[in-house]
Formats: sequence, C-alpha cells, structure tokens
Amino acid sequence: MPKSAQSALEADAAALYSRSGAAAYGVTAEQFAAILEEILRKYLPHTPAHDSALAAADNSVEKRNGFCAALRLEELALARACAAGNERAWQDFISRYRQKLHSMALHITRDAAHAAELADSLFADLYGVNARNGVRSSKLVFYTGRGSLEGWLRTVMAQEFINRYRKQKRTVSLEEQTEEGVQFAAAIPEPQYASDSRLEAATDEALAELSSEDRFTLASYYLDGRTLAEIAQTLGLHESSVSRRLDRLSTGLRKRILAGLRMQGMSHAQAAEALETDVRDIRLNLRSRLLQDSDAKTFPGNKVPAQDASDGTSD
Amino acid sequence: MTEVPKIVHDRLRATRLQGSLPRQSTSGQGVSGPTVSGQTVPPPAHPDADLLTAFAEQALSATERAGVLEHLAYCGDCREVLALALPNADMPAVPGATDAEGDAVALPAKSRWNWLRSSTLARPGLRWAALAAGVAVAVSVLLLHPGKLNQATLPSTNPQVAPASLPAAGPPLASSTVASSPVQPSTTLARTSEAPAKPELQMSKKLKAGSAASPRASQSGQSGMMLAGNRPGSAPGNTLPAPSPAFSPSEPGGSSSRTVTESVDVAAAAEAVVAEPSSQDTLMARNAMARNTTPAIEKAKPGPEPDVIGQQEGLAYAGADSAGLQSRTRNEMAAAKLAPSASQALANHASSSQALANNVTWTIKAGVLQRSLDGGQTWQNTLHTDRPLLCYASHNRDLWTGGQAGTLFHSSDNGLSWAQVQPSIKAYSLSSDITRIEVRDNLRSPAEIVVSTSNNEIWSSTDGGKLWDKK
Repeated sequence: MPKSAQSALEADAAALYSRSGAAAYGVTAEQFAAILEEILRKYLPHTPAHDSALAAADNSVEKRNGFCAALRLEELALARACAAGNERAWQDFISRYRQKLHSMALHITRDAAHAAELADSLFADLYGVNARNGVRSSKLVFYTGRGSLEGWLRTVMAQEFINRYRKQKRTVSLEEQTEEGVQFAAAIPEPQYASDSRLEAATDEALAELSSEDRFTLASYYLDGRTLAEIAQTLGLHESSVSRRLDRLSTGLRKRILAGLRMQGMSHAQAAEALETDVRDIRLNLRSRLLQDSDAKTFPGNKVPAQDASDGTSD
Repeated sequence: MTEVPKIVHDRLRATRLQGSLPRQSTSGQGVSGPTVSGQTVPPPAHPDADLLTAFAEQALSATERAGVLEHLAYCGDCREVLALALPNADMPAVPGATDAEGDAVALPAKSRWNWLRSSTLARPGLRWAALAAGVAVAVSVLLLHPGKLNQATLPSTNPQVAPASLPAAGPPLASSTVASSPVQPSTTLARTSEAPAKPELQMSKKLKAGSAASPRASQSGQSGMMLAGNRPGSAPGNTLPAPSPAFSPSEPGGSSSRTVTESVDVAAAAEAVVAEPSSQDTLMARNAMARNTTPAIEKAKPGPEPDVIGQQEGLAYAGADSAGLQSRTRNEMAAAKLAPSASQALANHASSSQALANNVTWTIKAGVLQRSLDGGQTWQNTLHTDRPLLCYASHNRDLWTGGQAGTLFHSSDNGLSWAQVQPSIKAYSLSSDITRIEVRDNLRSPAEIVVSTSNNEIWSSTDGGKLWDKK
C-alpha cells in the first residue's frame, strides 16, 4: 500500500478510534483497528485486490474510510467490549438495553411468558453463558455496526423467535382452525387447480418481470399480510406511495397475466375466465398451501433441534 | 386496495425460499444452499442480522440494498424477521441514551394499540386531509381563477341562465333585495347609457362583452385586473393613490348603479384582505393605467367589470337570491386567496428550475454532504459534521441534512452557510438518527419540513425549523 494512503488510513483509524470511545471500555486502538479490518473484509471483500495501483488504492482507502465513518462506532465499541468481557461495557449495555430487550420481546412475542423466556435466552446468548473451551462466546461479537445496536438486537431476537416459536405458533393456530372447522376446507383436493398449467406459467412469468422491490412489496402485503405502514417503514417510503405501488402492481399483474394467457392461445374471454374461476379455487387451495408451509426447516440452530420431528402436516 | 388474482398469491408463495436461515454463528454466509419449489432462482445466502437491520434503517449502499431486497422478495422468513424487528413506536428507542423507562414492560397491549393508532390511522388520515386540501386548491384555482376554464364556463352558462331566470327573478330585483338588485343595473355600466328598463337585452350584450373581454386581456392579466378593479374600491387611498377611479364613471348611472359599486365593494373588501403583494404588479399596472389615462378608463372599464359583475350576475340570476351572491363572494375570496399562492408556487418553481440550471446536485457520501456543480462529474465536500450524515433534502435554495444522533443542519443559501437545528418539544429533543428528511411544498412558504428518525419519530416544522411538532 502506498505510503500516503497508508498514513491517511492510519490517521483515519485514530480518528475513528477516538470517536468510538472504545478506550473507555478498555479496547486498544490495535484491537479496534482489527475489528474494523474484520468488518471491512466482510462487507468490502474486494478491497485488498486494488492495492497495487495507486489510484485504485486511494479510491479504496476513501471507500474504506467512508464505510468506517458510516458505522455505528460507539455501539460497535460497546458491543465488542461486552463480547470481550469488559465489566464497564456490560454495565453500560445493561443499563441501556436490558429493559429494552424485554419490551422488544414483548413486542415480538405478544405474550408475557414467551417474552420473558425469549429475552432471557437472548440475554444469555449475548452474555455468552454457553462457554466453550472455557471461553465465553458472546453473540455480540457478530455485531458489526452497520445498523443500530438496538435494531440489531431486535433483528436477532426476531430470528430467534421465528426459530424457536414459530412451529409452536403454527400448531396453536392449527388447533384454532380445527375449532373453527377450517380443516374441512383444507381437505379439498388440489388437482382442480393444478390442471391449468398455463395460468401458472403466465403468472410466474408476470411475477418474474417484477423488480425485487415490487415483489417484496407484493409479497409483504398480499402474502404476509403486512400493513401499508409496516411496508412503508421497512422501505423508507410513505404509506401513500406503497398504496399507489400496490394498486399499480395489481392492475399491472392482472394485465400481464391476461396477456400471457392470450399469448398461449386463449381468447380474451377465456383468459379472463381462467383468471376469475381460478380465484374461487385458489382461495380454498391457499389454506392447504399454508398448512404445508411448516415443513420447511427454518433457522436450524443448535438450540432448537427438538421440535423438528413433530412436524406432521407435510404433504 | 385492489386485490390481486389469487393465482398471484399462490405463485408468490410457491416460489418462496425453503432454505434455512443462518444463525449468528455462521458469520452471515448461508449454511446450505436454499432450495426453491418454483422455477425462479433466488439469491442464496440469507442476509445476516446486521444487514437486515441496516436495511430496515435505510443505511445500506444501493448495491447492498438491492441484494437484500432481492433476497427478501423471495424469502418469507427474512421478511417476517424484518417485520417483527420493526421498532415499536412507543418504545423510547433512542440508541445510546441511558434509559430509565421502567414502565416499558408494563404496558404491552396498550402500547401496541397506541402504536397501531399512531401508525395506521392517524397518519393516513392526515395525509388524506392534505391530499383533499390539495385537490380542493387545484380545483378551485382552475374553476375560479379567471383563466381558460372560467372563460369557457361563464359565458356558456350565463346566456342560458340569464334569459330563463330573469323574468322570475324580476320582482325580487325590483324590490330592493340587497344582493340581486345591484346586479341588475350593473348591465348599464357597460357604458350604454340606456335606462335599466331592458335588463335582458343589456344583459345579453353585457355577457357578450364579458366573454369578449377575454381576448382583450391576457389570462393572467385578467385576474390581476379583476383584483385591481376591486382593490381601489375597498381600500381607497391605502396603498393606491387613485381611489376607485374605475368606479367613478359608473356613478352617473344613478343610485342603483351606486349600489352596484357598493356590492362590488363588499366582495372587493373581502378580497382585498387576502390579496397579497404578489398580485401587486398587475394591480399597479392597472392602477397606473387608470390614473394616467382618464378617458381610457371608460374604455378600459368594461374589461374588469364585466368580469366581476358577470360572475355575480351568473350566480345571482341562477340563484336569484342574496345567498347565492354571498356564496359567490366567498368563492371569490377563496379564488383571490389562492391566486397569490399559486403565483408564489410558480415563482418557487421558477427558482428551483434556476437552481437546476446551475446544475447543483447533492449527495451524501460516507456521512459527508457533497455538492457537485457540474452534474456529478466532480464533488466537493460541503458539510462535514461530527456525526455522519445520513440523508438530505433540498428545496429551492433551502437545504436540510440530517445524520446520526439527531444531527440536523439547515442552509437557506444553497449550502454556503449552515446552521445546526435542534428540534425539541418541551423537554424532549430529537436525539435519534435522522433517516429521512422531506420538504413538503404545500404551496406554502416556508415549506413544511418533515424529519423521520430511526426510531419512528416524525418531527415536522412549518416555519422553517423554529418550532417543531412531533408525531
């Protein structure tokens, strides 16, 4: 690496280090630089390759610095200091997040008992109770400061929740469905729908043409049942734009599917009919699809192998 | 919301990822290659918690964001994680703040409802109200502004309405009904010195004159003249040195025509209250014309007056009572109120296009606000703050930029000088990351500033950042 770039990087590293306040948690500048290096390697994997040419190096230094500057350095320092077992860092972490962990868990599980369990288990993971080879391994070591620490905690907790409770939740909802008598609807056989492969193909084609953001919006709203507000928040848009987009998408999709069906030789009336008759069939069919869904082994982790076998609803 | 065909649901679901998500222990790379039951091939690895968080907080670069989105489009599990991890709006989620909230756990259901209410009901309501107001503004500008539309509707309706309803409206006209009687003699104002005995005939002539007046005056000039015609009558000697010269020739018309002047004054007074300086130029022009060329007044008069009176006639005869006139007057008030704001908006657009002509573009790179004067070829650092900047918004020469931990800067001179702004309400001040700034140009000045934060607070200011409101 060229000298100027190197020194610039060093100066910058010092600035980053002081900004992070890592010193207060007993993290040395070298340790912090190593952490940053590790994060850079993870998210900017091509950086070292450019070192040969001066211009490229400058460019990459700038890029690296920019990347590091945008990180949540303070939270990163706190998290990594906690992972390293610094007492003061832990005190800070607990005072900042312990309470929040519980309200997050409540928000996610919507059930006080599960919330307490989830929060406690995550806290244990964060603290690193499950020691291996005498070394505490804290989950916080995976935090890289791309987003806020709090957001990261929420995400980790949500993953854990899905991992741990979703199957349970599904079972509960199945029972509820049984009580409501829905299982009779689910018993309707599939072939009636599956016969029309043309419709399926046309739909797949239309869906494949969507941008990923459009598809995400569509799936979130129609499939996952998210609210406009939630989608808007996730995408950083306003609800009205999401609503407009959904309208545009649904009308566009209908048109595309119809066009696709006509391409396959259907008349306009036939195509429209195929789309409409299908509506009735699918509504029932969806239910069975929903039930089958739990056969996917999601988030396989070292903590939840127990319930996997209990999955009896597969096709 | 339009429903999509159910086959779409089904195919969306069919092509979802069926792989397994990585846990934190695998440094974010996918464990096993996920499989898909549809034919579409999704991106392989699930994004790790860091990326998902950064995605939800809009902190990713464009390419990273695109990658995550592509995955999310197919992966229901990650979408669920994302949705579950959305911040709870009621949670005082200020990162880095020492929290002292002990009650956060104690209010589960309540907080959820609050969150629901605030995020799904209140905000769309406001937005719809704003939209409705915007539509109302647009429609009323189009209808009442004596531009193209007015010329099209007014002459076409009046000739039909007038002869038909006039006989019926005759008696009340004669019997000094306050509103309608002034209208009737107004026809004589068209400098035809006949007695007000044959209003029908005069009326139709007059209406033609009214419609004929449109080619004479340019469209914008006409509105200005309408205001100008009113202004001297209502505010004599206030800003205009020649009080009501436009109306003086009409006074010989007799006592009835004086009431015309007065009835116009009522409308004019109301309009003058809301008339803003932006209409002053046409006003002055009109006024100067009135003052300098006294003989010309009589010729010029039919220009503005047929407009005002013509409108009043149209409604007074259609409604044939004073209520009609009043509502008309109110409408005109609205029109007068709107006219300046519309012209202001035009001015705004003019200046924004000027800014575009200067080719100033902005971007935020690595937390630093940069400016380019050559359409993106070269960039200069414009604002370097202690904390990284995350977003910006520009509006004409106003520039707002926000960043981590409540950093908010404002420049009113296109980035030459900056002032830090600290939004606060009572004891509570904005201290979380600002993820989005929006300048809502509601035809108002200053435009409304709306600042969104990473923990879902929405701060807004309608006075350029002095007073703030938090949702």
